[in-house]
Amino acid sequence: MKDFILKRMASIILPFICIYGFYVILHGHVSPGGSFAGGIIVGLSFIAYSTIYGIEKGRKKLPEKVLVAAESYGTLWYGIMGLVGIIKGVPFLANKLAGVDLGVPGTLNSGGLISFIGFGVGIRVASTMVTLFFTMMEEE
Amino acid sequence: MISAISTNLPVFIIIAPLFVAFVLPTLAKRKRLVENLVLSVEVLMLLGICYLASIVLFRKDIPIIYQMGGWPAPWGIELKVGSLGTFFLLTIAIVSLPVALFARGNLTHEVGGKERIARFYVLYLLLVGALAGMALTNDLFNVYVLVEVATLSCCGLVSARNHPRAAKATFTYLILATLGSCLVMGGIGFIYIITGHLNMEFASRELSIIWQNNPRVVWMAFSFMLVGFGVKSALFPLHVWLPDAHSVAPSPASAILSGLAVKGYIICLLKVLYNVFGQTLMQAYSVHKILVLVGMVAIIAGSISALTQKELKRRLAFSTVAQVGYIFLGFGLLNTRGLAGALFYLASHAVIKSTLFLSAAAMQTATGKKEIKDLSGIGRKMPITAAAFTVSSLGLTGIPLFSGFVGKWNLLQGSMESGSILPISVIIAGSVLCGAYLFPVIRIAYFETAPEKDWKDPNLPQKLALILLSAVIVVLGVVPGPFLELANRAAAELLVLR
Amino acid sequence: MSEVIKKLIINYPYFAAFILFAIGALTVLTRSNLFKKLIGINIMESAVFLMFVAAGNIRGGYVPILNGNNPQTLFINPLPSALMLTGIVVSVSVTAFALALILRLYRSYGTTDLRRIYKMGNEVSE
Repeated sequence: MKDFILKRMASIILPFICIYGFYVILHGHVSPGGSFAGGIIVGLSFIAYSTIYGIEKGRKKLPEKVLVAAESYGTLWYGIMGLVGIIKGVPFLANKLAGVDLGVPGTLNSGGLISFIGFGVGIRVASTMVTLFFTMMEEE
Repeated sequence: MISAISTNLPVFIIIAPLFVAFVLPTLAKRKRLVENLVLSVEVLMLLGICYLASIVLFRKDIPIIYQMGGWPAPWGIELKVGSLGTFFLLTIAIVSLPVALFARGNLTHEVGGKERIARFYVLYLLLVGALAGMALTNDLFNVYVLVEVATLSCCGLVSARNHPRAAKATFTYLILATLGSCLVMGGIGFIYIITGHLNMEFASRELSIIWQNNPRVVWMAFSFMLVGFGVKSALFPLHVWLPDAHSVAPSPASAILSGLAVKGYIICLLKVLYNVFGQTLMQAYSVHKILVLVGMVAIIAGSISALTQKELKRRLAFSTVAQVGYIFLGFGLLNTRGLAGALFYLASHAVIKSTLFLSAAAMQTATGKKEIKDLSGIGRKMPITAAAFTVSSLGLTGIPLFSGFVGKWNLLQGSMESGSILPISVIIAGSVLCGAYLFPVIRIAYFETAPEKDWKDPNLPQKLALILLSAVIVVLGVVPGPFLELANRAAAELLVLR
Repeated sequence: MSEVIKKLIINYPYFAAFILFAIGALTVLTRSNLFKKLIGINIMESAVFLMFVAAGNIRGGYVPILNGNNPQTLFINPLPSALMLTGIVVSVSVTAFALALILRLYRSYGTTDLRRIYKMGNEVSE
């Protein structure tokens, strides 16, 4: 696409969309939304980037290696956070029992391990969305 | 360290295959490493499951309840290691290890390059993890999630071979299976709406009190569950996706799909029927009669359709439809003998059908042909493969000293206890039909002259897998002891009136 | 009769879910176009989601977010909504997988009509 206005506007807006996605991911436990919704917003910013600037440029921003690694380790991160409980001697995926400080309800630091888990899931969702988009576009 | 592992063993058995599955895509370039990782996680699972089984067999304070995240039952998710769960876990471990071994020797030929092989293993391990979860979970919504994970990985496995036929079969399977899981989710929704619980035990307790106030909702839940899981486990009139999907998949995949995946859904249905609704409700709604009836129809119709098939793999796929009928028949008998027989038959069919599929695949790979008539004289050129095929067909038919016999014997006794003559005659007729569609293959393989061709037994891992599986069939037939004991206990636990 | 109508009006979300489910199932089973089948599946899934979410709703309840000083005491049940988020994720992945399959089928058969694809049989090779 050679639309000047679109490209200008995208270069201004897209970073904010991406950051907003991370905001939704990290505030999943205190507000509506969460890792899935936030991950989709993050993925969407990259998808919009590649539709506006072309697939090749999008590919350059996020090479396949990065996507595969984000997908694998994002999910693995979830499991590792679950193992924290086992290391502390309490069941899998334990949060408060594992001795994590839960903070004041309503603030950002009130989820314990949940925000960490959500971060991993969000990254995985974002990379999956982008991978799906690239696969579908390149199948043509 | 060791105590941490042993107390958390139930959860480790589920997450170990999932962990490895998530790491594999990043290691796709190193084929050997991928294969070794898969095999080692399978062996570790087998060891852990044997340990769990020994605990369940020799200690009295079962079932072991594992609370995820330390949350107690009505709020948290529970894993329940009872006799039924251990029984199915043992089946999973015994079947999936040899199949992974076979895949090591066979996949390059059937699936293609390194990346595709890595993806195949990802799906394989996801399926194994989901099945292990189904065996242990005690939470209704967990059942739905695990069923979906298993369904999607099954679809991926079916389409692993890059061929338009595979895509076609996968699409049909995907649509029907998703329809089934919609129904399952709807059924779970009905149970949740009237009981307010997702934990099986609490839901069951609540249901036994209030079911008379909401008779229609319970009826809806029953029918949604039966049809939903029936589609997924290829119950006779709903089996249309199975022959295409199972015959077009790469051979290790069709072995595990026919052997284990179908059984996973059956175990889920069993848990829902007996642990949630319970025996009283089943009798009140005559569900057991439906199960027996559908089982009998499935046995006869599946066997007859298998008889008309000319391709070996399709014949085996239709035979799965018939054998699923036996299991459902046993579920409907409502006595310990019949239920234990059905469970034992489930395990033995898992082993036997994987052996059949794997040996058929080995023959197909050697000859390059799909039809049964092209296999003449293969018995002398590929002795181990043909022997494995023979052992497993004898087992499936129900000849004494092979594992299928023990299951069928218990099923027969169960039907006698229940007092109706029809199931007995159908079981016997099914065995005869089973012989009628499997023994011609053996006759062609051994007693016809072979063309002058260079057919050889497959390579070492494949041979090893076939030998292992055939050994399991014989061992289960000769000394069914501990396995049958587990099945008996599971049946007794399921039939407890609550 | 008016009793039934009253019940229907009170429980209208379930009624809507039932109708949606029927529409979806009918579309899946009768249409031979691959895309229409997929859309039917999605409609069916939304029907079940609607049923779950309606089951969790309490009229007059508030969003169940604890932030320390919330004066409300009546909250809706958040569990079904959370469960349906999982359901939505599953439905997204099913849709993506099915779309990829449709692309594959279209490339090798040149049509998106399942009946025609089956008529072509197994002659099409790679």
